[in-house]
Amino acid sequence: MRRTVSTLALLLIGLMLIGAVWQPHDPDAIDLSLRFAPPSLDHWLGTDQLGRDVLARLMIGGWRTVAVLGCVAAIGMVGGTVFGVAAAMLEGWRGALILRAGEMFIVVPTLVVALTAAAVFGLNPVTAGVAMGLAGIGPYTLFAHALARRLLAEPFVQAARAMGVGGSGLVVRHVVPNMAPVLFAHIGANAGLAVTAYAALAFLGLGADPSRPDWGAMLFEYRMFLFDHPLLMVWPGLAIAMVSATLNAVFDAH
Amino acid sequence: MTLPARITLRTVTSLLVISLLAFAVISAMPSDPVAIAIRAWNLPSDGATVAGLRAQWELDRPFIERYGSWLARFVRGDWGISFRTGEPVLAEFLQRLPLTMTMALSGLALAPLLAVPLGFFAALRPSGLIDRATRGLAVFIQAVPSIWLGLILLYVLGVQLRWIRPFTRDWTGLILPVALIALHSLAVLTRVYRRDLLEVTRQPFFRTALAKGLTRSAALWRHGHAHALYAMISAFRAEASWAVGSTAALEVLFGLPGIGQFLVESIAARDYPVLQAYVMVVAAWLLVLNAGVALCLGWLGPRPA
Repeated sequence: MRRTVSTLALLLIGLMLIGAVWQPHDPDAIDLSLRFAPPSLDHWLGTDQLGRDVLARLMIGGWRTVAVLGCVAAIGMVGGTVFGVAAAMLEGWRGALILRAGEMFIVVPTLVVALTAAAVFGLNPVTAGVAMGLAGIGPYTLFAHALARRLLAEPFVQAARAMGVGGSGLVVRHVVPNMAPVLFAHIGANAGLAVTAYAALAFLGLGADPSRPDWGAMLFEYRMFLFDHPLLMVWPGLAIAMVSATLNAVFDAH
Repeated sequence: MTLPARITLRTVTSLLVISLLAFAVISAMPSDPVAIAIRAWNLPSDGATVAGLRAQWELDRPFIERYGSWLARFVRGDWGISFRTGEPVLAEFLQRLPLTMTMALSGLALAPLLAVPLGFFAALRPSGLIDRATRGLAVFIQAVPSIWLGLILLYVLGVQLRWIRPFTRDWTGLILPVALIALHSLAVLTRVYRRDLLEVTRQPFFRTALAKGLTRSAALWRHGHAHALYAMISAFRAEASWAVGSTAALEVLFGLPGIGQFLVESIAARDYPVLQAYVMVVAAWLLVLNAGVALCLGWLGPRPA
């Protein structure tokens, strides 16, 4: 079961990465003679209101989603580790200050931070990913702090300290390598949430650029045809749900 | 310091820090507000107007001074004029806020009411029907974006079955968004409550209670409920943040004139008094909610075993 889920997840991410370099058709090629074509051998998922290939657009959207996930995970990992370990190592007011700041940022919804960033700097996967990643630093700092505190009390770390290993040595050799996998799994458990949050952001169409199809933006575009062509809005929604469900399943098992 | 005083102090400092950060980010906006205002309000773009607006908005003063005078005006109720509508921002927010709050708060209030019985029966019979159903719901709801689920419900209930009339202006238009928020919170809170109830069943005192002749359900309620409620209230914070964050997308989807819709309409116009006001309102709202949760937890006392 575990293996199946992991293989499926790798396959899915692989498919999404392929979208960066190859699509079955030009995702922006408009062909008005082919409007709302049903799925066929040539257009596997059919075409949209402008005759554009839905699968090609879905693949571009997939690649953009992976880019967001990469930014969120990288920033969460680095930020959480740095601040969490710093809070654990620095006793006294400096550590307390970091934790207080972390608590403060749990309150602000990720989506509101991302909305603000998109309004100020424009919406693209990198700004959205960076904003969502920064919004995650607060909670991840608290989580990493708890992990680091527990590790610092472990006998093997105490032994290393007794043998004269200094602060930076403890952190680099013992604390960070042992907490990184746990923190990564914790961030991964929220990756599904990042997928749906980015979809909501793109749905709101902040600075939407129709030549750059995001899954959420496709939902926004295709919702107009809910009554006559409901199949169109099924594909991007299904893509979001599949990726999000797979990510949840992979990291839930930890 | 007493608990309420400490919580108030923390809430106010948090709000100040968030307002400073938001002000800094919005001030870093690459486009020039004077140019936007001149375009939006059809003012003559001569040197006098530009200089006048720059002086009025104190754009040539240092950042911290600008923040100070913005804060003073904000507290007095002067939230600025929207670039897009030319109306005071505060009036617009006061008109739209009740809808957004009704939507998010009724969804959030419904969830714990249903989560306690559902979670209780799920824990009473692990792997029973209710347990499996709530697990399925949780897996489903965490993966499926609420906007898509909303679209599907619109199609099934509105187009196929014709049970609801979508996009009405009266309260029935709120049914679907409230249900979507409630469903998400319900799924998460039920699992949290169930998990912590089951944790209690592994404790020695639970076995003692059973040995003394209590039925499983009575023992669970008497010894597990307070413990699990504590975890559920903590999880409620994250849910509240999710609910408030997702109101914007739901308002746009269902065509509801709340503050999220106002923000989305304003963003294309780089309307930053509105943006700043939105961040402040959402932050204040969630901070007050969190303070309420913290008070609740304080009132419940230290976490039971």
